[in-house]
Amino acid sequence: MRKLLARIGDMVGTDHGGKRYTYGNDPKFGPVSTSRLPSHWVRTTCGYCSVGCGMLLGVRDGRAVAAKGDPDHPVNRGRLCPKGLSEHHTLAAPGRLTDPLVRRNGRLVATGWDDALGEMVTRFGRLIEEHGPESVAVISTGQLVTEEFYALGKLVRLGMRLAHFDGNTTLCMSSAVSGYKQAFGSDGPPGSYADLDQADCIVLIGANVADNHPLLTPRLLENRAATSIVIDPRVTKTAMVADQHLAIRPRTDITLLNGIIKLVIDWDMIDHGFVAEHTEGYAELADHVQQFDLDRVERECGIPASAVAKAARTIAEAKRCTVAWTMGVNHSVQGTETVALVCALSAITGNLGRPGSSPFSITGQCNAMGTREAGFTASMPGYRSYENAHDRAELAQLWNVTEDRLPLVRGRAYPDIINGIIDGRIRGLWVIATNPVVSFPNRDLLEFALAKLDTLVVQDGFSTPTSDLADIVLAAGIWGEKEGTFTNSERRVSRVRAACRPPGNARTDFDIFMDVARRWGVHDDLFAGWATPADAFEEWRRVSHGRLCDYSGITYERIDASGGVQWPCPTDEPVPLGGTPRLYTDGVVPTPSGRVRLACVTPKPFSEQPNRRYPFTLNTGRTVEHWHTRTKTGEVPILDSLSPQAWIEVHPDDANQLGIRVGDTVRVSSERGAIDGIGVRITSIVRRGEVFVPFHFDEMCANRLTLNEFDPVSREPNYKQCAVRIDTGAKGR
Amino acid sequence: MTPTPAALQPRPSSRRDPEGITEAGPGRLALEPGQQYRFTFDMGACIGCHSCEVACAEQNGLPVEVSWRKVGEIEGGEHPHTKRFHLSLACNHCLEPACLSGCPTSAYTKLSNGIVAHDADSCIGCQYCTWNCPYSVPVFQPDRKIVTKCDMCSPRLEGGFTSACVDACPTHAIGIEKVDVATWRLDHSNGNAPNLPSSDLTLSTTRIVLPANLPADTFTPNQHHLVPEDAHWPLIFLTLLTQLSVGAMATAVGFRRTGHGSTAGTLIAAAAGGLALAASLFHLGRPAVAWKALRNLRTSWLSREVLAFGLYAPLAMATALVPSLGTVAVAVGVIGVLTSGRLYLVPGRPAWNSRVTLLDFLLTAAAIGPPLALLAIDQPSAVTVWTTMVAVSGLVLLTFANLGRLWLAGTNQTRGTVRLTLHRFRMLTALRATLAVGVLIGGAFSLGHSGGQMMVGAMAAATLMSSGIGRYLFYVTVVPASMPGSSFRGAR
Repeated sequence: MRKLLARIGDMVGTDHGGKRYTYGNDPKFGPVSTSRLPSHWVRTTCGYCSVGCGMLLGVRDGRAVAAKGDPDHPVNRGRLCPKGLSEHHTLAAPGRLTDPLVRRNGRLVATGWDDALGEMVTRFGRLIEEHGPESVAVISTGQLVTEEFYALGKLVRLGMRLAHFDGNTTLCMSSAVSGYKQAFGSDGPPGSYADLDQADCIVLIGANVADNHPLLTPRLLENRAATSIVIDPRVTKTAMVADQHLAIRPRTDITLLNGIIKLVIDWDMIDHGFVAEHTEGYAELADHVQQFDLDRVERECGIPASAVAKAARTIAEAKRCTVAWTMGVNHSVQGTETVALVCALSAITGNLGRPGSSPFSITGQCNAMGTREAGFTASMPGYRSYENAHDRAELAQLWNVTEDRLPLVRGRAYPDIINGIIDGRIRGLWVIATNPVVSFPNRDLLEFALAKLDTLVVQDGFSTPTSDLADIVLAAGIWGEKEGTFTNSERRVSRVRAACRPPGNARTDFDIFMDVARRWGVHDDLFAGWATPADAFEEWRRVSHGRLCDYSGITYERIDASGGVQWPCPTDEPVPLGGTPRLYTDGVVPTPSGRVRLACVTPKPFSEQPNRRYPFTLNTGRTVEHWHTRTKTGEVPILDSLSPQAWIEVHPDDANQLGIRVGDTVRVSSERGAIDGIGVRITSIVRRGEVFVPFHFDEMCANRLTLNEFDPVSREPNYKQCAVRIDTGAKGR
Repeated sequence: MTPTPAALQPRPSSRRDPEGITEAGPGRLALEPGQQYRFTFDMGACIGCHSCEVACAEQNGLPVEVSWRKVGEIEGGEHPHTKRFHLSLACNHCLEPACLSGCPTSAYTKLSNGIVAHDADSCIGCQYCTWNCPYSVPVFQPDRKIVTKCDMCSPRLEGGFTSACVDACPTHAIGIEKVDVATWRLDHSNGNAPNLPSSDLTLSTTRIVLPANLPADTFTPNQHHLVPEDAHWPLIFLTLLTQLSVGAMATAVGFRRTGHGSTAGTLIAAAAGGLALAASLFHLGRPAVAWKALRNLRTSWLSREVLAFGLYAPLAMATALVPSLGTVAVAVGVIGVLTSGRLYLVPGRPAWNSRVTLLDFLLTAAAIGPPLALLAIDQPSAVTVWTTMVAVSGLVLLTFANLGRLWLAGTNQTRGTVRLTLHRFRMLTALRATLAVGVLIGGAFSLGHSGGQMMVGAMAAATLMSSGIGRYLFYVTVVPASMPGSSFRGAR
């Protein structure tokens, strides 16, 4: 009866629901909606991108109810982007996995951990027995905590002894890794965010930070003393706030950089002292760039020679120049070479290891750096080389294992694992916290590969298009439910804390790894005495000691005291509380000669040029509201409503010619696949003949179109250029 | 009255604009006499990250359909010199808030600190403020069935904290500052921005700092992407039934005067009036407190409409018993129709905002009322048929003449209405005109004394359908004035 009365009251409006919209007072942050009022705040680090913003997660009754920027954190000074501000919603999202699943009679059904892990170990064990350790591969992520990466590397390489282990970081930063190795002899971003504050010239190449690393953009705007130069084919939000924008044609960055280097050399504005003492290959470089005169640059890059000269002049005259880049450079078959060329430009102008002066890769995922350093993929933990005898001996001794237990080679990189599945050599795959169905190029081929697998295990916090295809799904805890550390783009190690428990029967990735180790019979051997991620961190500190990425002086307590510590931070040397702001301050780099190797790079036209059948060049990228394949942000209602669908950006002249209008829907297709019913945005932020589609969306997946071509060294995909056509038909939305 | 915020905590600030207050500080927010608070927005500093929108939703626990702060886009220029700027706006806390003056329940208050506050208890969910505001700031919140809006985070200001949007903006593009009301009243040009309704309309107070490199011609991504407005079915019934009633009543009273009267005509008119009032309740989010709509007779045309029809309906019924009341009833009814039309004259809805709307409502009464009365009275009357024919033709001509006027007015909103009427709803527009032609043919037969009551009945039906379609189009083709939208988010 009372219910009925309430129902009627609701219908006629005697009650306007005001009781649901009251405000309470939070002692730290002031009045706020009672629905967002926490009983306490948990200090942590954001789990999206690698800017690494300090965050406070508000908790009430075991649930995360609010997220705020940590006012004391050196990276973000209390501010967050829209993803961070709503990140607490991801934890209790409807798409969370709460139980492990196993496929029975074609359907995934909830089961217990014994069943799921038992079946995984049995099936992988059988494959290895029948087809060798080459037959099972692991693809992980850049989004676990460093402690988990370290544990996973040991488990996969030393415990399960699998030959092929890589991460989705190969889709993202591997060109930066291999470019750094080529120029400096080791991975490791030399600079800091502080360089953006201190530089008098900031160059961003293929880096739309306003959309992708929003909390770095204020540093650009607030550094009034610096001239900012953005190099990007598209007039991005970042390009619009820059002082100079070089809207080069796609993939003509190498030509442009060579042209700029030539001008700097011609003007005799190189740093002669630095070049003489700290570089090698200068004569070859100076000779090589002679072919890149301004006429050629103007012709190939499609921008006025005067703009190139102006930018070159700004760079040459700068006392402190920071050159930062992201995916526009990395996502290329020439990614490694382009990174090496950026490093060369920095080196010949003497911009290395000084405040405001560095080449600087802005990383993608929250802890891609953690897996680069502590993982066991492109190198052994601590940037140790598989081939280097000293590195092998040292690591074997640290772990108290015989050297022959360490793999001799890296094994297949991500795209080569996929190729290995297609050619039948790899039959089992364990995918951890990544969603290749949406994120890998040429989706059609990827789906074909996954369908060929004997056993696909997917470990994730969410139900994803990839987990839908799995034989076994391991329900994992995510950021906000786990303890450990993240390392951001500027090598800053920050704490990540659990605000609540994983939902239902889901378990943290660390727990799952330990359980697999037990079932594989290697736990006592590899992880003796380990109870929590902190134990992994302690061992990792010892293992990294003496390496470039030295964590030995970093403790959880020190992180709390400083708000984040930048490695290298050796325990036995005097280092400031917040760690080491930049590498190579003495100009000496870890190449055999100690000198920066200057790269001579020749641009190659991208393979799939626009043609009669596919007349447009497709560029792909991101939007500020979403993260990766939307497994998290698609579950946050406000982010989803701000940007619920993919779109295609088309220049007004092209739109006219095609006879399409704003709001029309079109079919976009390439040699490999098509997206149907995608909405058109007519905008001059793209050049005529070029179109743009954001890659986040499963339903309108840009990776149905993209090309499966990879950098020969880094194996990073060439996501940024392929040829597509646009067909009209379906109108209106 | 809100107290002046006290004991404000200073916070470290790295502001760009020394004039704006992006961080609260002691004394900085204390108002001098003649001052009020306002938002500031630095368009060149905004990177379009939407943090303010999310922070606002989190601060107020808003459901996803409701945003109190919105980020729109404007674009101009040619690649590679294209510029896209973002405009983040919440309530402009106007000096002459149209939401406030239009609100029938006086739910809005202009606080002494300038904040335009909205009282949920008073709100009946009529949504008239959502039409009145040229920026589409107040939003109907479906789960509460009332309108809600930005109050500049009053509880936070009182507690010494700055607003959530200001606090969240990574580039300090949004701020709060004090403004001298009298000075701003004289010159409020800094409240203007491209693709934004003029600050003249309501004396909006948000100070917008425009970037130096603003292109001459700009567009908003949503301006070519027209979404029809809500049809407001209860209002279609309310307006048509009241006009039907008044028209029929006038006809019936006229017949009485000429001595041919019957009470049937009066009765049917009174019934339509009663139904109209009932229909109006379905429009309200909170019909239980509909009486509150009489609170603001001083400034709200909606209050006046409610009073006029509130008097008219019982008068109409009384006329059935006391025929001499007829003239008074018709007079009150016509006043009702005029107040009803007048309330659509709002700057926030440019297509409605002219006397054409008044004429439309009067002509509709003249078109649909007489045939109905004629049916009930069962008397042939050439004058009545002529009235209907003239009114129906007048309505169609008026509509097309008005479309011409709206096109020539040349704004995105007025042209949008023309596009919707002639393109998206072209079938309905054609049907409406065809029905009007049908009415004229039927009228001609009727005047030739053929067809009898059947023909009058057919005429009545065609007139009603034609007017019904007209009224439906009236509601769905209006394009509201608003702040710029984005590709996925229109004005609302």
